[in-house]
Amino acid sequence: MDPEKVVVCRCEDVLLSDILKAIEGGYRDLESIKRLLRVGMGSCQGRHCLPIVARVLAKATGLRIDELNYPPSRPPLMPIQIKCFLSDGNEE
Amino acid sequence: MIIGGGSTGLMISYYLLKKGVKSVIAERKYPGSGNTYKCATGIRASFTSREHIALMKRAIELWSELKDELGVFYERSGYLWLLSREEDLRAFKTYVSFQNEHGVPTKVIDLSEVKRLAPTIVTKDLLAAVHDPLAGKASPFDLVLQSWRFLVEKGCKVLMGVEAKKILMSGGKVLGVETSAGFIESRAVVLAAAYDTVKMLKSLNISVPIEPVPKHAFITEAYRDLFKPLIIDWSTSSYVVQTHHGNFLVGSEIPEKPGDKPLSRLEFLRKASKVWTKYFPWMKEAYLLRYWTGYYDTTPDHHPIIGPLDGLEGLYVAAGFSGHGFMMSPSVGEVMADWITEGRPKILEALNLSMSRFREGRLVKEAAVFG
Ligand SMILES: Cc1cc2nc3c(=O)[nH]c(=O)nc-3n(C[C@H](O)[C@H](O)[C@H](O)COP(=O)(O)OP(=O)(O)OC[C@H]3O[C@@H](n4cnc5c(N)ncnc54)[C@H](O)[C@@H]3O)c2cc1C
Ligand code: FES
Repeated sequence: MDPEKVVVCRCEDVLLSDILKAIEGGYRDLESIKRLLRVGMGSCQGRHCLPIVARVLAKATGLRIDELNYPPSRPPLMPIQIKCFLSDGNEE
Repeated sequence: MIIGGGSTGLMISYYLLKKGVKSVIAERKYPGSGNTYKCATGIRASFTSREHIALMKRAIELWSELKDELGVFYERSGYLWLLSREEDLRAFKTYVSFQNEHGVPTKVIDLSEVKRLAPTIVTKDLLAAVHDPLAGKASPFDLVLQSWRFLVEKGCKVLMGVEAKKILMSGGKVLGVETSAGFIESRAVVLAAAYDTVKMLKSLNISVPIEPVPKHAFITEAYRDLFKPLIIDWSTSSYVVQTHHGNFLVGSEIPEKPGDKPLSRLEFLRKASKVWTKYFPWMKEAYLLRYWTGYYDTTPDHHPIIGPLDGLEGLYVAAGFSGHGFMMSPSVGEVMADWITEGRPKILEALNLSMSRFREGRLVKEAAVFG
């Protein structure tokens, strides 16, 4: 498949070719590739794309999954509207 | 050799390279993994001590250069302090005149001007604001990733996943550092490891007055451009900034004890949401995406410790940035490169920031600790 036509991260619009270029550019860990390309920083928080990026990176570098700096999950698990933190949900 | 690959360590390496010195950085996790990637991106010279103003004014010149040299996103989009109490307005008038005397162009502005800078803001509880047009913001991601790539291309080493364990000395001179990847020999060692600097120096029986104070921040999804400046609500110690990608990054002070483990706290989310939805009611509908905690490596006078350590030849410290280490990283890099290669910084105010000030009781005086 043409890497220019494979969308890896649909939240932030990142292509497989972008990932391969980053790896060629010398970035060999997920935390750094995430901040270079914003892959995994969209509204699903990387739930859909990071496992794919991890696989691509592991294949390209020969590193094990536990050597890739897989980003930790940060709260909340799903995007939440700010008004949920106001006491009556609708405070003026 | 530099211990710590945050903004401080990377910029020290960068400005050493400009003087023809190639360095090695040992970074325990990955570059930026400390507080650098957690920061709120703000850059300003509007402080209330000569030392901070001198370092930040130089840093602001260097940020413009870094934008051209490395392609780092940087913008002079200003800072805005919202003032809602008479006593705060009076105090800020004195800070503004101090800053103006030292060449920082802050000014008190009225509410119509506030509206012009942040068109969607509700100003009903405000008296006035202070605007700093020289201030701005930059991308920590760009700074780390681009300087890292540049350093490696030019033959410097950035060792990822390598932890410094122990500094080896002999006869008052540094020999090198014992690391998780073996011994690294070096005649000059810089500790740029934020709070971990304290732990490293403890093994040499040196105590450093730096405490880690937990800090909280969250970020929303990206929206279209709504305002440029970083906005601070002075009475609640809260800030909001729209990143260049469009996300709103929000911070707010809640009571925390130095040394406590930074934990996620609902109290923070409640307070920050309350403060900013009052000024920007549309924010109620915005989606919060991520919440993280980090810490400020804080010193008793809220100024960093930068320079050599008396009696320990070849050992240097650059830590204790007290919440302002990202903005000053370029000038700190330059000052440290001066110390290492010339034995003295060109920015004379930096002489007041070495460790010896605590022993000699010469703490830096500041009219107000600002954010
Ligand atoms: C929520 C928040 C908001 C902030 N907002 C701003 C802001 O708007 N503007 C601003 O200027 N500053 C801000 N700051 C402060 C700023 O983030 C820090 O001052 C700055 O990042 C300090 O950089 P550093 O390189 O000194 O430390 P760090 O980025 O913490 O780097 C230290 C590095 O040392 C490494 N390390 C530690 N021990 C060892 C060891 N033994 N061996 C090898 N490596 C080691 C760590 O892994 C880490 O990567 C903020 C901080 C927080 C938490
Ligand atoms: S698909 Fe990448 S962040 Fe959602």
